[in-house]
Amino acid sequence: MPLEYTPLDHVPLPPKDAQVYTTACDYCIVGCGYKVYRWPVDAPAGGPRAAENAFGVDFPSGTLRPWVSPNQHNIVRVDGREHHVVVVPDFETQVVNRSGNHSIRGGTLALKCYNPETPTRERLLYPMIRVNGELQRVDWDTALEVMAAVSKHVLANYGEAAWAMKTYSYEFFENTFAITKLAFGAIKTPAFSQHDKPAMGNDTAGLDDSGLINFSPSYDDWQMADVLFISGTDPYETKTVLFTEFMMKGPKLIMVLPRRTAGVAFAESRGGLFLQVVPGTDTLLHLAISRVILENGWEDREFIERWIATSWEINSGMGRGTRNTPWQWRTTWGQFGTDFQGYRDWLLGYEWAELDRASQVTGVPKEKIVQAAEMLTGAGGERPKASFGLEKGNYWSNNYLNTASFTAMALLCGAGNRPGQVIGRLGGHQRGWMKFAGYPRDKSPEKLPGRRKVELDLDRWVEAGKVRFAWVIGATWTAAMAASQEFERRFREMTRDNPHQITSLDKDRIIETLIRRVDSGGMVVTVSDIYPVVPMGTEFADIVLPAAAWGEHDTTRCNGERRLRLYSKFYDPPGEAKPDWWAISRFAQKMGFQGFDWETGNDVFEEAARFSRGGILDYYALVWKAKQEGKTGHEKLRELGTTGIQTPIRVENGELVGTKRLHDSTLKLGSPEGPTIHAKWLTHFRSHTGKALLIKTPWELFGDFFDYIKPRREEGEFWITNGRINEIWQSGFDDKRKPYMENRWPETFAEIHPEDAARLGIESGDYIRMYSDRVLIQTGGFNRVKPEEMRFTWLLENGYIRFGKADVQAVAIVTDAVPPGLIFTNFLEPGSPANSLVHRVPDPITNRYRFKLGTGKVERIGESPYKEDFRFMTFKPRDVG
Amino acid sequence: MASKPSELTPASLQEPRCEAADPAFLLSRRQFLFGVGATMTVLSMPGWLVRRGMPARVHAQVAEYPRQTIARLSALRTGDVLSFNYPWDHPQSLNFLVKLGERAGGGVGPDQDIVAFNSFCTHQGGPMAGTFRADIGVAGPCPIHWTTFDLTRHGMVVSGHATLGLPQILLEVDGDEIVAVGVMGLIFGYYDNRVDPSA
Ligand code: SF4
Ligand code: FES
Repeated sequence: MPLEYTPLDHVPLPPKDAQVYTTACDYCIVGCGYKVYRWPVDAPAGGPRAAENAFGVDFPSGTLRPWVSPNQHNIVRVDGREHHVVVVPDFETQVVNRSGNHSIRGGTLALKCYNPETPTRERLLYPMIRVNGELQRVDWDTALEVMAAVSKHVLANYGEAAWAMKTYSYEFFENTFAITKLAFGAIKTPAFSQHDKPAMGNDTAGLDDSGLINFSPSYDDWQMADVLFISGTDPYETKTVLFTEFMMKGPKLIMVLPRRTAGVAFAESRGGLFLQVVPGTDTLLHLAISRVILENGWEDREFIERWIATSWEINSGMGRGTRNTPWQWRTTWGQFGTDFQGYRDWLLGYEWAELDRASQVTGVPKEKIVQAAEMLTGAGGERPKASFGLEKGNYWSNNYLNTASFTAMALLCGAGNRPGQVIGRLGGHQRGWMKFAGYPRDKSPEKLPGRRKVELDLDRWVEAGKVRFAWVIGATWTAAMAASQEFERRFREMTRDNPHQITSLDKDRIIETLIRRVDSGGMVVTVSDIYPVVPMGTEFADIVLPAAAWGEHDTTRCNGERRLRLYSKFYDPPGEAKPDWWAISRFAQKMGFQGFDWETGNDVFEEAARFSRGGILDYYALVWKAKQEGKTGHEKLRELGTTGIQTPIRVENGELVGTKRLHDSTLKLGSPEGPTIHAKWLTHFRSHTGKALLIKTPWELFGDFFDYIKPRREEGEFWITNGRINEIWQSGFDDKRKPYMENRWPETFAEIHPEDAARLGIESGDYIRMYSDRVLIQTGGFNRVKPEEMRFTWLLENGYIRFGKADVQAVAIVTDAVPPGLIFTNFLEPGSPANSLVHRVPDPITNRYRFKLGTGKVERIGESPYKEDFRFMTFKPRDVG
Repeated sequence: MASKPSELTPASLQEPRCEAADPAFLLSRRQFLFGVGATMTVLSMPGWLVRRGMPARVHAQVAEYPRQTIARLSALRTGDVLSFNYPWDHPQSLNFLVKLGERAGGGVGPDQDIVAFNSFCTHQGGPMAGTFRADIGVAGPCPIHWTTFDLTRHGMVVSGHATLGLPQILLEVDGDEIVAVGVMGLIFGYYDNRVDPSA
């Protein structure tokens, strides 16, 4: 049953003398600024008069004025004493969430704090080892010694590639620096991937190859534009304050999505355009729009002449990099990279880019394609400022071709390097990746034709039985990756179903058993997390380590405009939970590695500063300045509060200055001062010539896969696509424990069109199952030699594809927000993972899954309790305009 | 003043009730709203909060609100919207009552479809008055950041940013009179619904 929740009709106000901490939201990319007010439970609360409360505001307050909702209050422990906390958006901030704006996710941050009297009581409190199938409490030393002993055995006998890590990429600089120092610096394993992808490398390779850094814009740019092209996301749902605070206040919006959402309803109500695409066909939409632009001569000639690389600049090796990097072979040798004339000739002669054909495949009416081209360019009249933002619906359906064709279209419109004329990702989670060293690509057992080593597809590596020890940190792994249920089966085989299971708490016997497991071809798994993760922590892990979370230690990271802030500690971690950097450091010491003897998070932050130098998230100058002022790096950042500072941080006239946008052709730089580094991409594009590149994107490279997986309507197959929803963050690890949020979405949902629903006898509130026995899974094939081995058809014909099964359940919502033949469901529900229906065949160019292209059949199971119970879930349309 | 048991109200209301301050009354009130069994706790807030220094009046969520007659049952037609102030004569105590034409959580009247809600968005106080959509039983979108609320499900957020559902005005039927008797959820801008701002 769902949690019990009663809305309260009162809330304590923070008193004048409450302790105040600044922080930023733990959740989405936007990174709204928050303040935490804390006071002991036995001290009086604040009063309603301005002089009596910490806000200095009379209550009742009013519209757009400070307020505290009952779900912004909690009780936490500090040094064993109970304290009230009120966690509210910073009403005074001038950046990001100006005027106290917030989403439902961040707005309820207070409820995520550990309080044993709320559902957060499920937090992991102590290290545990699975004995006779049950997790038993042990001390940190025992857990880490077992891990170290097994790790040493694996490294000595099976090599680095048998020792794997799967970790978040975003949960703060201190932790990710420690993780990469261990994985890439000390162990040097290529068996590593971040939470949301099977292999390392960049997410939007097409942008990168074109010379664009994907988080180059500032939030102001999205407001300054006259027209925004938003592809593969509704920012209202998933980067809410970027939408409500910036995008709703200026530009006309062109939204490219397979389904109608609240953001689409808003866009249409303000003269915007909704391009409802068939999943996976964005490339053809981009090509068709670009072609209309070129046919009419609407491109930005002046910009193109000044800023687009010529063929000499590409093919003389000046294109994108040195000879043997992944992007180099894509942009030179004529396969993809070309100059403007070459691109124009190719596109105007390319049959897939013809309006009729593109309209037919994408499902977008011809007039709307033409209208988009007109809106983006002014159709020969005054040129509007056009900006282009994309997210996962775009790059997780056809990674390389979508991102490259998107960027080419944007460049033709003159976007990329001016205020209000930008190209970038809109983002998912925040930017918390601070690396000690790069991924050891030279050690990767996977390669492409030629001498092209490529980042290892870790999932396929696990499937092949090559991993003997895995440390999973803050990631669901199976549910988040493709063909999830098949992947779970493989994990189970190698862990719980292995005959060598721990039966005693004796350390030596534990180590002996686990080494026997490893030698028998099995796998040992450690999970570090804040809650028991289904099924990785609850079923497969031999060792579980409790992590300290947001608000429980001082941490740092950047948001989607590279804004760096300190996320303050304001209460104590529960039980023996520790920051992940601490667990890494103690494990590394047990392994005998040097350089892991940090005592505080600030130690890690200051060490990492040197490794950030010259990069996009460069904050070295901050630590340099702090030293001059006799402060720690964390202290200096705390002074900057919720405003923080945008990286890369520079020094001008002795003061720290942030960088508003990258590739900023209007930015004037003098000589670099102090520790400042002036990278070329501050003012130019990130290529050898400083110019952007146009990249051809032949549909044939993807078309065979697309045609093969396309739902066979006559057999009852649907597109089963997925995405984020406003009221749930990631796997819902917090939301499931916030009664208010959990009552809104007690279970996962599936939107289905009324025609399909009627045919299948489905009503809103019914349970349905979505299933398939045709989930494609790529196996083996780590060494590709000939170019044709990159093609799906070749993989299929040569036995590298097997067929798996999937069967997941959801509560139906009947709505015409989705078109017939398409179902939309939440992207990450660990207990019923939609990714089970996603084919585990990554984009061969970039090793990225086509997460949005799930397919399967649908059938009614019966009624859910939510159909008639008014307390839970709602089946009303979300796209009300 | 107790309303007459009749087929117009859910079974849980049909038990005899005493004065408003009696816990039995509160139990009925909560059962009425959420339609749950008699094992449900009486408290209107979690016990741990009561024990942790929150104001002691929590038991009285309903009992301490004034009773106020809002409308006549016989005069209401489906789609009708009435505005009224409750519990106080204060700008943010502005509410709307609607006859939805579909059964709703906390709905009164023969079709259990008459509900009332506060008119200020619990995100940042946007004015929701006039945003009622009779065709779908939703209030919204809020003119400020576009939040929508489901009026059939206790004002739950359909889509948007509010950290609390739209506060629901608890209604009772007394003969032909529709009476407001309490508020579920903190009104935007308030810190305590039960404190008269002008007092
Ligand atoms: S928009 Fe994102 S960062 Fe801002 S409050 Fe919501 S979840 Fe947090
Ligand atoms: S005030 Fe209503 S959505 Fe923000």
